[in-house]
Amino acid sequence: MADATTTEPRLRQPRDTATGGSWAGKMPGAKRRGRGRTQAWLWALPPVAVLALVFLYPLALVIQQSFTTDMGETSAEPYSEVFASQAFRDALGTTVWLAVGSTIGCLVLGFVLATIVAFVPFPGSRAVAKFIDVFLSFPSFLITLALLFIYGTVGMANGIWTDATGASAGPIDFLTTPWGVLLAEVTFFTPFVMRPLLAAFSQLDTAQLEVASSLGARPLRIIRQIILPEALPALGAGGALVLVMTLNEFGIVLFTGAKDVTTLPMLVYSKAILESDYTAACVVAVVNIAISVGLYSLYRVVSRRAGA
Amino acid sequence: MLVHSRKGRWSAWAIFLALFLPLFALPLLVIAVASFSTNWSGAFPSGFTSGHYEKAIRGASLQALTTSLLTAAAASVLALAAGGWAALAAHSLRSRGRRVLDALFMLPVAVPSVVVGLAVLVAFSKPPMLLNGTRWIVIIAHTILVTAFAYQSVSAAVKRLDPAYEQAAASLGARPAYVLWKVKLPLLLPSLNAAAGLCFALSMGELSATIMLYPPDWLPLPVSIYTATDRGSLFTGSALAVVLMGTTLLVLLGLSRIRTKATYR
Amino acid sequence: MSAPAMTAAAPAAGTRASGIRFEGVSVAYGDTVVLDSLDLTVEPGEVMALLGPSGSGKTTALRAVAGFVTPASGRVFIGDRDVTGLPPYKRGVGMVVQQYALFPHMKVEDNVAFGLKAQKAPRGEIGGRVAEALRMTGMDAYAGRYPRELSGGQQQRVAIARALAIQPDVLLLDEPLSALDAQLRAGMLAELARLHRELPDLSILYVTHDQVEALTLADRIAVMDKARLRDCGTPQELYRRPATEFTASFVGNANLLRVAVADGAASLDGTRLEVSGDVTGTEGTLCVRPHLVGLGDGPNALRGAVTGLQWRGSSHRVTVAVAGQEVTAEVRELRTPPGLGDEVTVHFAAEDAHLLPQGGALRG
Repeated sequence: MADATTTEPRLRQPRDTATGGSWAGKMPGAKRRGRGRTQAWLWALPPVAVLALVFLYPLALVIQQSFTTDMGETSAEPYSEVFASQAFRDALGTTVWLAVGSTIGCLVLGFVLATIVAFVPFPGSRAVAKFIDVFLSFPSFLITLALLFIYGTVGMANGIWTDATGASAGPIDFLTTPWGVLLAEVTFFTPFVMRPLLAAFSQLDTAQLEVASSLGARPLRIIRQIILPEALPALGAGGALVLVMTLNEFGIVLFTGAKDVTTLPMLVYSKAILESDYTAACVVAVVNIAISVGLYSLYRVVSRRAGA
Repeated sequence: MLVHSRKGRWSAWAIFLALFLPLFALPLLVIAVASFSTNWSGAFPSGFTSGHYEKAIRGASLQALTTSLLTAAAASVLALAAGGWAALAAHSLRSRGRRVLDALFMLPVAVPSVVVGLAVLVAFSKPPMLLNGTRWIVIIAHTILVTAFAYQSVSAAVKRLDPAYEQAAASLGARPAYVLWKVKLPLLLPSLNAAAGLCFALSMGELSATIMLYPPDWLPLPVSIYTATDRGSLFTGSALAVVLMGTTLLVLLGLSRIRTKATYR
Repeated sequence: MSAPAMTAAAPAAGTRASGIRFEGVSVAYGDTVVLDSLDLTVEPGEVMALLGPSGSGKTTALRAVAGFVTPASGRVFIGDRDVTGLPPYKRGVGMVVQQYALFPHMKVEDNVAFGLKAQKAPRGEIGGRVAEALRMTGMDAYAGRYPRELSGGQQQRVAIARALAIQPDVLLLDEPLSALDAQLRAGMLAELARLHRELPDLSILYVTHDQVEALTLADRIAVMDKARLRDCGTPQELYRRPATEFTASFVGNANLLRVAVADGAASLDGTRLEVSGDVTGTEGTLCVRPHLVGLGDGPNALRGAVTGLQWRGSSHRVTVAVAGQEVTAEVRELRTPPGLGDEVTVHFAAEDAHLLPQGGALRG
């Protein structure tokens, strides 16, 4: 049955391409692809429609409101008013320097900690990685709450100081200043840098490190010449994400309760909820969106390059 | 192994502990200890009590917990449905369409949560969609905020899924809908589960948008933690925070147990 | 193995055994042509091997039949049906791929039943057909297992059972044995041959880069290289009378010698050689299999110095330089092998020396 002799020897296939006609042959495939793509778009439509209704449309309303004066006219006047106010300028400055400062802090701290966890492993270093994941699932304001107990005026640190020196009050009083926010943000957001770094480090071939040290390179040199270049994409992606998140952070600032630390999100909240000035709130919101969406787009580009 | 000398290794570990313990471990420990204390003025707290917890699991606090749980559950389910659907639909689009959907569904991550709250407040405070003052406005805001994460997780999982399964199913005569239901979704289940956990945790801790939107009868736990600490009841706030963290962890643990059952390979 | 066994799972005997026909099928990704106007017919009930190195377009051809690549031009027929524009699920082909792609979340029996359920086969039939497909592949004892609990060879059998359960007209096998170790592979080859005897109406398109698999299993072999079909014929034809140098060297080993042609014979280094094949023209390429070259005097004797000697246990491989070209002879182990540089004589019979057809040589 599966016997070669029953099938007669067949002619070698002609190499002529004209059979069937290439144009006629193109049609069915092209039509099918066209139909398939329309269908794919139809499937994408429902979630996009929902997103548009509950998110894009409200966002558009915010932008529209930001260009509407109290009289109901459309103009850029609300912007010039808000830009002229000292409160807004202060908030913008505070927001940017807090975000940049926290990001740098997170990058440095995250790199040091991740390098030790990955390359100088100790019993329990896997548990540390687990702890990082758990830490990420907690809300940010818990950190501020904890810092109140540790560095508050009657907290642990000052308590240890007064116990040791006998003074009536401790010297530590930075929680209600931007430095308190900075500390909380660095603490909370460092894991966001560590996670992509640890992922990148797990891809690194440890043989490289061994070869390097067998060639006489010292640890600092290996870090600079092998580990750091490998970590750069992850650092870039993690850093950009943290920058965006710190620009948008609200819970930490709110819990600090300091009157002199006002960031853009805080300003949006106070204009809208405390002062009921929706137009001003919308203007600040638009500025905040512009900054963070711009940076976030940058992050997407960087992280796509990093393959994250 | 980067550092070979014993001394070098110990000093690296010392640096690690000196940074890690006060920055990451201490805050959580302090909240846990404070939640059992009546007084903290000085180096250490005093006055052991479980009273804060007795209050935390009764009355308004208990209601705040159930409110948070219900909100997080609803937001996770909705986000998973919308984000998962979008991610699956995006996968069958060409690269440009996929990028458009990626951008649209990742946008909520870039927009500050406070602004999402403001936008939802502006949009749903007037007819025809008058939802301000109801629990739905909170649930909608949470859904928007976590959908991006659901989209991202499912999208990554769909990309990792070996197309050979889908193709084997198609060659056996299964239509796309049948393939989706019987092959793709079951294989994506572990990732969907993980995404659900992420969405749930994020929604449980959401404060920024919630504080702009919550009606008096739908007050989630993070808001009550804030009102407690704002009043100066730091110890009650701590107890509530521990309840929040504990509940979140319990739910995550439960989900990860399902995950191990659903992982086939 | 016997005829009655086939009734349950084989396509109802004699109804519609159908083959596969490619008509000028081209596939391109962007500017890269991965399949260049393929014309090929697989007869009903035939096993056709697509043999070629990686990147030769053989897998693309198979995927064009399954419906996973859309030809830029040309048509694909299964039986008389033009399936060129049909989605994969309407084609009714069975397919087995290298990594098997068994559904990890389903038991073996559910994997095998998948296609029947997807096509809404009558409920009462499914159980019997699943059992039959598992019996044919020898996997009936494993129906309740999950794929992860099976060995590679067992997963392979389940994948075949899954493809056979839908009673396809054609079966597509894409490098089905390449994930198995050598010993299992030999066993599976025999198994596949036996399966085909049980299902004589089933046309099989078998993609492989392994000439042994192709020679063992195929009724005919289509040799592909660089997106094109280079040669097609029965294994014997291809082995004994290859049409191109590529076929000669890819299907088995070959000595390929440039020779002058005159008066119905070839000549090399002034020695007249009696050969078979295409003896027109003035020069050509002569193909002689190494194991058909003998040491010592005989017909078509050539003399030269030994340039290479390999001992392979049961045989010796002796390479001799003749007029600047190398002739390799594979002979039974020699008691006193020649040394390097020794002058020896090699010979081969006229019917074992095949002159390649003019113009058939691979260009470019």
